[in-house]
Amino acid sequence: MRRSMYMLVAVVGLAVPAVYTWSSSAAGSGAAIGPSTIRITSRETSRVRVDLGRPGRGVGDTEVIRQNLFNKRIRSKPIGFSEYVCTFTTPTTRACNVTIFLPKGRLVAGGSIQYQELYELAVLGGTRLYDNARGTLTVIRTTRRPRRQILLFRLAG
Amino acid sequence: MRSLSLSTRMIAASALLALLVAGVFALLIHAVLTLDDARDREARSKEVTAAGVELEKLVIDFESGLRGVVLTGDSRFLRPAEAGRRQLPRQIGELERLVAGDPAQRRRVQALRVAIDDYVSDYLIPIGTIARDNPDAVRTSLATEEAKRRTDAIRATFNQLLATEDARAAASAESAETQSRRAIVLGAGGLVAVALLIVLFGLYLVRSTAYPVRNVAAAASRLASGDLSVRLKEGGPGEVGELTHAFNHMAAELERRERELELQNELLRESERKKSELVRIVSHELRTPLASILGFTSVLLNRDAAPEDQRRYLEIIDREGRRLSALLNDFLDAERLDEGHLALDRELIDVGRVVAEQVRLFEGQSEKHKLDMDVRARPLPVHGDPNRLAQVVGNLLSNAIKYSPEGGTVHVVAEQDDGLVRISVRDEGLGIPKELQEGVFGKFFRGDAPASGIPGSGLGLTIARSVVEAHGGRMDFESGRGEGSVFWMELPIAASN
Repeated sequence: MRRSMYMLVAVVGLAVPAVYTWSSSAAGSGAAIGPSTIRITSRETSRVRVDLGRPGRGVGDTEVIRQNLFNKRIRSKPIGFSEYVCTFTTPTTRACNVTIFLPKGRLVAGGSIQYQELYELAVLGGTRLYDNARGTLTVIRTTRRPRRQILLFRLAG
Repeated sequence: MRSLSLSTRMIAASALLALLVAGVFALLIHAVLTLDDARDREARSKEVTAAGVELEKLVIDFESGLRGVVLTGDSRFLRPAEAGRRQLPRQIGELERLVAGDPAQRRRVQALRVAIDDYVSDYLIPIGTIARDNPDAVRTSLATEEAKRRTDAIRATFNQLLATEDARAAASAESAETQSRRAIVLGAGGLVAVALLIVLFGLYLVRSTAYPVRNVAAAASRLASGDLSVRLKEGGPGEVGELTHAFNHMAAELERRERELELQNELLRESERKKSELVRIVSHELRTPLASILGFTSVLLNRDAAPEDQRRYLEIIDREGRRLSALLNDFLDAERLDEGHLALDRELIDVGRVVAEQVRLFEGQSEKHKLDMDVRARPLPVHGDPNRLAQVVGNLLSNAIKYSPEGGTVHVVAEQDDGLVRISVRDEGLGIPKELQEGVFGKFFRGDAPASGIPGSGLGLTIARSVVEAHGGRMDFESGRGEGSVFWMELPIAASN
């Protein structure tokens, strides 16, 4: 259960376009559209697990995680937030859908997460500024308490 | 166009030579500096490459440690990498310092710094932490691929950086080689050119200075040895032209002064000769009457002579005394002529009357001679000094009598002709040979007279001609050996009113 929560928190770090919105130099990208590599960090603010079925972590359990997103190279306050909605598919694996809320639009990523310390999701799309975004999101946990992550977007276009 | 002076030419030539030498040296210095710069760039590129390789080695160490962690899940494999992290700032700082002057490389190094920092802080350190917490999480293919992706990106930047530096080092080496060759060619060419220019300048100096000076020296030697006719060909640049011109002027002036000196010497010699002649004439002419005077005076004093003899002696003494007086007057007149002080007391006179008086005066002086006077017009008015004109006529008559020792008729004609009064005195005497005629009117000229025992000072005709010319007239003669002589003079006739 705890691992699932961590993984969800990591997904919340999908705030790449926000970084771009706040400052193009923050992550080294010049445009939301087009190949680029973007780095932001996240801090988990809440984690709720809905234990369905037998008590304890099991298939079908659901986990909802909320994170604030940062680009501390630009500013210390959050630049947005993210929401993870994960459903356990095995006791150690969960399928997650992540929505990243940024000032100029939203990004959506999804996929299966085995280890919440290090995982990779597909960027499925976005709205407004991030319309038709595609690529991968790699998430690495940096601290456990509080749970912080580094989110690295590699966008194809 | 005015020719440039030699000084200006030499200064200009020296300046040109100096300019060329300076230019060659400037090119050489530039080539050497460029070579030095190319070598510096090459060395710097090599230093950058070395520093880059050193840095890359650190990253490889990180990667090796990470691979160990990924394979084993044991975070201890990261210990060497952590040690390397401490060297990272220094090595990147060194690399940044080396590329500080190259904006493009500086950007690459900055990107490299960010990439390595991100790799360490965003991946290496978290993976170590994760490996301790959950070793299985870092033994996934994702961990391996992510590590590879990141190190590949860093390695690509390294490759770009090092390739650029390699290319630069190669280009710098080639540039250094080119500059080295250029410096050698420039140096050799410059040396040859400068040597050639110095030789040309020397030849020019020899031609423009040494040759003319040598010519002047040779000409001066000839001048010193007495050849005053030597002259140089004038011309040449500035001072040389002035030198040849000045030399020629000096030679001409020396020649002119020598001629003047010779003339003055000649005049002095002539003067000396005339002085000797004067002394001789004076001593001779004065001695004769003086001897007579002294002799007859002694006879009168020491002997008892008959009264008629005493009278005759006294007449001789009187005549010789007058002769002495006339001689002295002639000398005084000659002196006045020399000094230009011949004074005339002019008035309107009848020259015919003057002539007649003189003819009467000289008549009966010699039993052998007859004076025939023909005054063809009366009056013959002339504005003149009667005494001086009488002196002239008397001189002509006296000469006609003296130079006709065999006797004969002396014809005197006074006439008016074309606004002039012409008086001529013709004798039937010795005549004057052609070769002596030129000096007849000269001072102390006596021709053959001394040899013939004819007395005289040689001043009479000189004085007579000067007097006539002072009256605005002229005097001349026609004569030949044994043909007698005709002396004539012409005076401007005075206006009738």
